[in-house]
Amino acid sequence: MAAPDFIPPAVRARLKDLRLGARRAAGSQGFGLHHSRSRGAGLEFAQYRAYEPGDELRQIDWKLYARSDKFFVREAERDSPLTAWLLIDATASMAQGDTARPGMSRLDAAKTLSACVIELALRQGDRFGIAAVAGDGLHLVPAGIGPRHRDRCLLELYKLRAQGAWPMQIALRPIWERIGAGALVLALSDFFDEGCVALVESLAAARREVSSIQLLTVEERDFPFRGGHRFFDSETGDELLSDGAAARDDFLQRFAAARAVLASRLASAGIRHVEHVLDQPLDAPLRRLFPARSGRIAPESA
Amino acid sequence: MSLGLLLPAGLAALAALLLPLLIHLSRQSEQRRTEFAALRWLSASLRPRQKLKFEELFLLLLRLLLLAALALLLARPVLLGAAGDARWVLVTPGVDVTAARTAIKQADAEWHWLAPGFPGVETPVPTAVQPIGSLLRELDATLPAKTPVTVFVPDVIDRADGERPRLARSLDWRVMAASASTAKAASPSPAPVLVIRNADSREPYLPYLRAAAAAWRVMDAPSTQSPANTAPPSPEKTVDVAPTAQPIAANTRWLAWLAPGPLPSSIREWIERGGIALLDAEVELPEAAQAVALWRNTDGDELVRGVAIGRGRALLLTRPLTPGALPELLDGDFPRQLRRLFKDESTPPQRALASAIKPIPGGPSFPETPRPLQSWFLVAVALLFALERWFASAARRRQTP
Repeated sequence: MAAPDFIPPAVRARLKDLRLGARRAAGSQGFGLHHSRSRGAGLEFAQYRAYEPGDELRQIDWKLYARSDKFFVREAERDSPLTAWLLIDATASMAQGDTARPGMSRLDAAKTLSACVIELALRQGDRFGIAAVAGDGLHLVPAGIGPRHRDRCLLELYKLRAQGAWPMQIALRPIWERIGAGALVLALSDFFDEGCVALVESLAAARREVSSIQLLTVEERDFPFRGGHRFFDSETGDELLSDGAAARDDFLQRFAAARAVLASRLASAGIRHVEHVLDQPLDAPLRRLFPARSGRIAPESA
Repeated sequence: MSLGLLLPAGLAALAALLLPLLIHLSRQSEQRRTEFAALRWLSASLRPRQKLKFEELFLLLLRLLLLAALALLLARPVLLGAAGDARWVLVTPGVDVTAARTAIKQADAEWHWLAPGFPGVETPVPTAVQPIGSLLRELDATLPAKTPVTVFVPDVIDRADGERPRLARSLDWRVMAASASTAKAASPSPAPVLVIRNADSREPYLPYLRAAAAAWRVMDAPSTQSPANTAPPSPEKTVDVAPTAQPIAANTRWLAWLAPGPLPSSIREWIERGGIALLDAEVELPEAAQAVALWRNTDGDELVRGVAIGRGRALLLTRPLTPGALPELLDGDFPRQLRRLFKDESTPPQRALASAIKPIPGGPSFPETPRPLQSWFLVAVALLFALERWFASAARRRQTP
């Protein structure tokens, strides 16, 4: 592979029993592994319908004809491929990591998770694409299939740098043109931007199968600061003087409340939402979003 | 035992203790810039608390100790009353050490020679000479007051001074029989060059003085040399003969002035500065009346009289130095007699029975000589520095794994 391997070997080994899946039936054309609304040749029974001239004779259910003396055609669900879209937040806040682990920022985790999903989709023969939202606009890799498309996506991931604030809505219009209805959308963000939350909500409302992973740093979870700090937000440029130990309890309480509000908002929009802290194993959020050994996903309580 | 400081002003260096305190002061007022995207939920109202806190307490302690030790080192620490109660045993050179060891049963006693510097008895017998009383007084002044002292002396002491030593402590004074080799008296110092200034009429005197001076040189020669090998000493080396007009050298000690008439003022000044002069019988000297007989012949007649002039002495001949007037000139004993006259008879006798000069207590006591501790403090400083470096680098290793 020309691009660097984002996925650590241990995580890659644990990807084996994972399987991407959508709750709703997919509507895309072609043959795949996912159940769809289109009827055709398949294993899963869908319905009987009356014979119409032009139907193939071998599709007539002859046992039913023997009982009812009418021609019925047995239809099955056709297994369809899925289109997986990775919606990556690449605003400046995603560049934040932990001082304890300098090499691992939110964006690094997002890239690794994206690479994992791309691997899964490639294995299942699904189409996949990338939509990365940075301060300078949208970086889009149209959905495609196959190992060469995988490499194209990884190259795009490799070039991706966190910068700027969430762009205006008009800059995100190509998302609506590209991500079709029924596509699986995995949003990787810290969801600190209201624009990002609004985007995934509207995507979910427009019949896209949206899952979201909120990426949190260890410092946001534990708030281990001691002494005076000049906290700054690289995205907005705001600064705040605060004492670590004194502000801890208040921050943890308010931040947990904000996360609960976000989770309930996303759940009410029908979005599967999980949180991922940077010191956890990278396959854990995928495992919670896409439980193993189940093609038909049960709705997950966020 | 107590710690004293010879230079308490050095403690001003303790002000340097502020440095590590400042270094280790937790830099709370300086706000570290921290990237934090979840700023929205952080309360802004809380101001950083200003509280004195220190980081790396153990390292701080080490550094404070190091600086304190350095400051103490500058203040020149000494230990007062440090010397233990171990008995000091002093052996006079000439006393058998093994015999002395059987007499002292204490195992922790410290053995030293009673000699300048008090070297240990393991070292060879010291040869430097110093009066025994002086050594005892030095010992009494330097040793702590409560240290017991035993002194081994031979039964006859060669270098005694005029008084029984009066010491602050009472000594354990042990007299042992001296070994024979060291019992002999100290050899006399060689005679200086005899300077002779003579008038022409006194030429006949000269051979006798030359002969006497040459005989002194033979007397002073080491006895181990065989007489056959000894070259006869040249007259130029033993005497300095010249007319009276020639001035005498500044370092002259013994002079024979053989000329009639009054003594020149230069010669008289020289005598007053401490010279010893043998004066001709016809020299006119105002002090001649106070002179006392120094050498009499067997009949009791005065041959040479002596008188002190200033710090020097004048030896007044009563007769011409001719065999006719002074038959003792031809005696074999004449050089020795002449030597005795020149030699300073005022030096007191130095040999004494050891039991007679046993020191008596009641002497002045001296403030104790403190023991310097700087070397120990140097070692402590070096150790602390090494420890400090070790922990400082360990702390850095912890920070950058």
